[in-house]
Amino acid sequence: MKTQVLVCLTLALLGGPRAYAQQTADSIKVGYASGDQKSIAGAVDKVSQDRMNKGLVNNPLEALNGQAAGVSIVTGTNTEAMLSSVRVRGTTSLTGGNDPLVIIDGVQSDLATLSNIYPADIESFTILKDASETAQYGSRGASGVIEVATKKGSSSQLHISYDGTMGFESVYKNMEMLSGAAYRQATREMGLDIVDNGYDTDFPESITRTGFVQNHHIAFGGGTEESNYRASLGMLQHNTIIQTIGNRNFTAKFDVMQKAFDRHLTVDLGVFGSFQKNKYIYDEQKLFYSAAAFNPTFKRGKNSDGSWSQYSDASQITHPQSLLDIKDHEDNAHFNTHLKATVKLARDLTMAAFGSFSYNSISLSQFMPTSVWSHGQIYRGNSKVEEMLGNVTINYNHIWNKRHKLDVLGLAEASKQVLKEFHTQAQNLTTNEYGYNNLSAAAVRLWEATGSAYEDPRMSSFMARASYMYDERYSLTLTARTDGSSKVGRNHRWGFFPSASAAWIISNEKWMKPIRWISNLKYRVGYGLSGNLGAIDCYKSLQLAAPNGVVSVNGTPTVTLGIIRNANPDLKWEVKRTFNTGIDLGLFGDRTVLTVDYYTSKTSDMLYMYDVSVPPFAYDKLLANLGSMRNSGFEIGFGASVIQKRDIDLNINFNIAFQKNKLISLSGNFNGEYLSAPEYTAIGSLNGAGFHGGYNDIVYQVVGQSLGVFYLPHCTGLTKQSDDTYTYEIADLDDDGVVSLEDGKDRYIAGQATPKVLLGSNISFRYKDFDISLQVNGAFGHKIYNGTSLTYMNMGCLPYYNVSKKAPGKHIVDQTATDYWLESGDYLNFDYLTLGWNVPLKGKVKYIHHLRLSLSVNNLATITSYSGLTPMINNSVVSNTLGIDDKRNYPVYRSYSLGISVQF
Amino acid sequence: MKHTIILAMASLAMLASCNNFLDEDPKDQIPVDKAYTDASSIYLNAVANLYNYTGGYSDGQGLQGTYRGVYDLNTFTTDEAMIPTRGGDWYDGGFWQQLYLHTWGNDNAALLNAWNYLYKVIVLSNASLETIEAKASLLSAAQHKAYTAEVRAIRAMYYYYLVDLFGRVPLVVSSSTPMRDVSQSSRSQVFRFVVDELQESLPCLPAKRSNQPGNYYGRLTRPVAFFLLAKLALNAEVYTDDDWTDSIRPDGKQIYFSVGGCQLNAWQTVEAYCDSLTAMGYALTADMADNFSVFNESSTENIFTIPMDPASYTNQMQNLFRSYHYRHASAYGFTGENGSSATLEALRTFSYGTDSVDRRFSETYYADTLRDLQGQIVTLQNGDTLCYYPWDIALVLTGTPHMATAGARMHKYAVDLTATKDGKLMNNDIVLYRYADALLMKCEAQVRNGEDGSAILHQIRSRSGMPDRPATLDNILRERMLEFAWEGWRRQDLIRFGQFTRAYSFRPQLTNEASGYTTVFPIPGTILEQNTKLHQNYGYDE
Repeated sequence: MKTQVLVCLTLALLGGPRAYAQQTADSIKVGYASGDQKSIAGAVDKVSQDRMNKGLVNNPLEALNGQAAGVSIVTGTNTEAMLSSVRVRGTTSLTGGNDPLVIIDGVQSDLATLSNIYPADIESFTILKDASETAQYGSRGASGVIEVATKKGSSSQLHISYDGTMGFESVYKNMEMLSGAAYRQATREMGLDIVDNGYDTDFPESITRTGFVQNHHIAFGGGTEESNYRASLGMLQHNTIIQTIGNRNFTAKFDVMQKAFDRHLTVDLGVFGSFQKNKYIYDEQKLFYSAAAFNPTFKRGKNSDGSWSQYSDASQITHPQSLLDIKDHEDNAHFNTHLKATVKLARDLTMAAFGSFSYNSISLSQFMPTSVWSHGQIYRGNSKVEEMLGNVTINYNHIWNKRHKLDVLGLAEASKQVLKEFHTQAQNLTTNEYGYNNLSAAAVRLWEATGSAYEDPRMSSFMARASYMYDERYSLTLTARTDGSSKVGRNHRWGFFPSASAAWIISNEKWMKPIRWISNLKYRVGYGLSGNLGAIDCYKSLQLAAPNGVVSVNGTPTVTLGIIRNANPDLKWEVKRTFNTGIDLGLFGDRTVLTVDYYTSKTSDMLYMYDVSVPPFAYDKLLANLGSMRNSGFEIGFGASVIQKRDIDLNINFNIAFQKNKLISLSGNFNGEYLSAPEYTAIGSLNGAGFHGGYNDIVYQVVGQSLGVFYLPHCTGLTKQSDDTYTYEIADLDDDGVVSLEDGKDRYIAGQATPKVLLGSNISFRYKDFDISLQVNGAFGHKIYNGTSLTYMNMGCLPYYNVSKKAPGKHIVDQTATDYWLESGDYLNFDYLTLGWNVPLKGKVKYIHHLRLSLSVNNLATITSYSGLTPMINNSVVSNTLGIDDKRNYPVYRSYSLGISVQF
Repeated sequence: MKHTIILAMASLAMLASCNNFLDEDPKDQIPVDKAYTDASSIYLNAVANLYNYTGGYSDGQGLQGTYRGVYDLNTFTTDEAMIPTRGGDWYDGGFWQQLYLHTWGNDNAALLNAWNYLYKVIVLSNASLETIEAKASLLSAAQHKAYTAEVRAIRAMYYYYLVDLFGRVPLVVSSSTPMRDVSQSSRSQVFRFVVDELQESLPCLPAKRSNQPGNYYGRLTRPVAFFLLAKLALNAEVYTDDDWTDSIRPDGKQIYFSVGGCQLNAWQTVEAYCDSLTAMGYALTADMADNFSVFNESSTENIFTIPMDPASYTNQMQNLFRSYHYRHASAYGFTGENGSSATLEALRTFSYGTDSVDRRFSETYYADTLRDLQGQIVTLQNGDTLCYYPWDIALVLTGTPHMATAGARMHKYAVDLTATKDGKLMNNDIVLYRYADALLMKCEAQVRNGEDGSAILHQIRSRSGMPDRPATLDNILRERMLEFAWEGWRRQDLIRFGQFTRAYSFRPQLTNEASGYTTVFPIPGTILEQNTKLHQNYGYDE
């Protein structure tokens, strides 16, 4: 793949990079409470602008990637609108609810909503990792909390800023399959008849293009001591390296603050909204599988009559370019408004009322033309979510005798969501001309293809929190929160989630004063409970009747109602107990800082769709609170301003997290009976031609092991067959004289899918007005199943499916899944390299007071021994893709971008 | 000021703590109670609802069971059909080879799915019976009797499939049975339960045809129960054999049933129930293919079918789609999967390739040069004629010259060009039970009871223009393949004839298989792990 050197424009309002170091003393708002970071006893990490990523950033999450210890961000495959998966201290729940809670200016939201905020509108991220702090959010905080503070107006004069980025993306690594000529030769040698259309097409390349990114953002604001405002507009556009796939996002944001009644009352009003248009790949695996395996002698592009040359013998794939005719579009409109009124009741007493309303509308439109889908198909769907939240807080702050500092907070909160959804699908299109715009062009509407839903989950909460600090040396924080949810069973409605934490600021002790090079030394310890309901949808505790199908009743097709799942009236809160302890150390006036944390947590009453025995149950899955799981880990954050001179700065930051996970149990009591789980439960298997069912399970859940382990037959090597082909030789691990691939027979636990170590690091260097910054992230200790190679190295697929360029060299005719293709997943990825120039304008240009130009390369290179396209696959989300590279990876590409940032 | 705050706090606290606020009031589903408010809604949601599970459209579901469901376990484990490995296609982690070779293993997902499917309907039937009981005050005595009988018969039918596939299964007759009470009954106990339930329901079931549109369409009516009772009696030797690995089988002449007040042996019982069907007017159609036509609802021969209509019902059949070569399917405007094919044994039974080929061969299979519905030759992509090579079939075809085209393919059903879902959602009702089967059951019973079965064998063979054969057991088994290929009966037939465990093409007999242990599938490993009181079937690892 040729690499183009390109021009670009990166944003980065900011000045040159500064270290971690200098921010520790900032005042910080944690949850509903505020204080200064010195007194915080929990594991809290604040990432403000200086520490955010400076490469090409299309999504707020990308700005955070690699910056905080224990926070893993796997960006959704290439379109930023696709949800990234974010884990704070690993996966602590088996179903849903593993995404951290996102709070945007006090509005409780989620990762998807975060993409509605333009990255440059974000002032800081505050990550609450352990229960002593997340307890403030009770049941929603179990998976960690990311608090996002956006930029507000200031009391200074009017300011206007513009940031723009423009860039290109270019593929540098793609699947290498047999060329037309090599395919002809290989099939000839094997004596196979082929369909040869005479071309030589590089199909993996045929679906790609040079990607294009442009982002623009304008903000202005101003104000006085009494009032201020800030408004911003943003636009992000991304055409990915896959043709026809991309997205556009418009964002708008407005904040205003007004004080009144002798500044006794402060009113903050905020509005933000966005409109996203996303063009997705309908089926990633089918597209990339088709691109790799399609007969290379077929024509690139359409035939002269506008049709595609399809290869009928390859039933699992189609002409890859024809798949790009499928439209899978999403319009996502989001609007939020929130108002906060803070009243100063007395010198030490304030009260605040907060109200928020959000509305989100997602419409999905899919169109499968008749050229790729027999008879064609249209899908239209719409879902709307309204969310209301209101709370009242009372805050009492008092300092007496200059030594005693007390901070008391009371909260009452209620929230309600209303979700409405409908969808319909129609088949047998008269023409492809209408796309998805006219359902009337389709003749067939099946009963099961149309549906609608309504849900209205509600929650209410009360919290009390007291924080006491003695002499800036000892601090103690106690929090008690209770949450009630409509989703749990009637008898378990309320959950109680207390926590306690303490800190000792050793450096403030008198006897420490002589040691002047230690500027900060703090010991922290905390314990707390948090709840999780992420896995539960509404009504799961009720026994309900739902439309179940159409049967003939008295001669008429009639919909009947039936019981469609096992009900569990005893559904309750999943509880996570966390213990956290840590040390913060600052040396040489905090020019070097070190933070070390150890945590251990146990999730119990774990919510999961457990496998249950049929009979007595009617259905084989039951949502219940049975098992438990342990997570523990060790996190180190380090920052050093190695050089700090007038003309030269060198800063080094890195964070490393060691994490360990163990599934303790999947069994427990239900309804007075002990339900035991099967020893091995497969959660991920291979797909594609010849891979449906059978012994294709790869990743399992096994009690006593880490969540998601590879449980595979052991391959001792390749064996030559009489016809000179090779097969995988499988070991008789249980020594019973028979090789059996069944669970519990000749299989062993061959590794885990989740990394044991995560690394993020940033090195930045400034010389006068120039600066350079490099971000490196890595993950270690896990494995990847290379199902892509298992498939493409199998010469038995010929001639219907093309094989890898390397396949004839090995001549394997076998597609049995063994540990032969299990590889180390360790990698070190150079996320970006940015070169910036703060143009020295001082006094030279009127009005412009800051101008910065920057040049970035994202996804510079990856160091890994993994033989597939990229080791950066799903290694944290428990789903059927966990740890399995199976013909669905994007080609690997670099982004080159140029940014400009002007401030007036 | 202070009062305002207290008031504000208090009102919010009230709102938040108010229990109504946290009560769920579903709007897109209703509490179960609201689904049974009068006689018609009780019929609809407690009785008719169960018929959703006869068909269905997702994998493993439905009695048509054609995607790794009941059907596949009864067909691809036999000498009738196979899905060979074709290069990169159809290896599927060894699944199809395991079925064919009888090396399915205890953790086979298809076995677990079949078990879960059959028991799901049983547990839901139990719940329906309890609902009918609980709501008896809303029903007339006649309705109460009729609804109860229909649900009991449905439940019995599903137990029949369970006893056939898994032998020793737990008898669960309440939807709230605690796990500790779920333990296995012997095969003969379950068998007797099924027979009793059907016999007791019989008088209250409507004496109406089920295969024809109208009030009884798709329902378990009296003739369907007759057919099931005949099947049960025909296989009574197998089903009353509590140890099927000791090579001793009870004698059908010694197994008695009470039919219409008389004690009849198994064979006489088969005859009696088959005669009941004859008395109701069931008759062979002029041509076997009439039963599988696009609009086959008027068949005089079909007894129990799954109603199909792309505009009205959701049931699907994978069978044809799975068998057609890609170009064959695309000649009809569908896509195909190029899989299932006839075995060598099937070809020989049909005398394929000889002058005396059975007339039913072309109605049952596509072989040789393929033509579309207009009579045009179907071509492969390279321009060659699409030709199926029946004799080239093998369990693994990878690397062979006719890797994609070996094997005779499924025909049986007429092609419905208006079908959707790649032909899976068609108008042809899926045939589960038909009268020709009842006749051959009677024929077999006659022979087994020492009577002459030649009249019936003649009736069946002459319908297809085939010359007479002596009514021997061997010829009857052969006739059953000729008549019922692709209809999902082969496994049961082979077991009854003691031939399931023998070696046939590409399948050696397994070690210890002569004991007969493979005639019953293992209890799925997952079920054994979840319920430790259950025991594995003979011959399989615990």
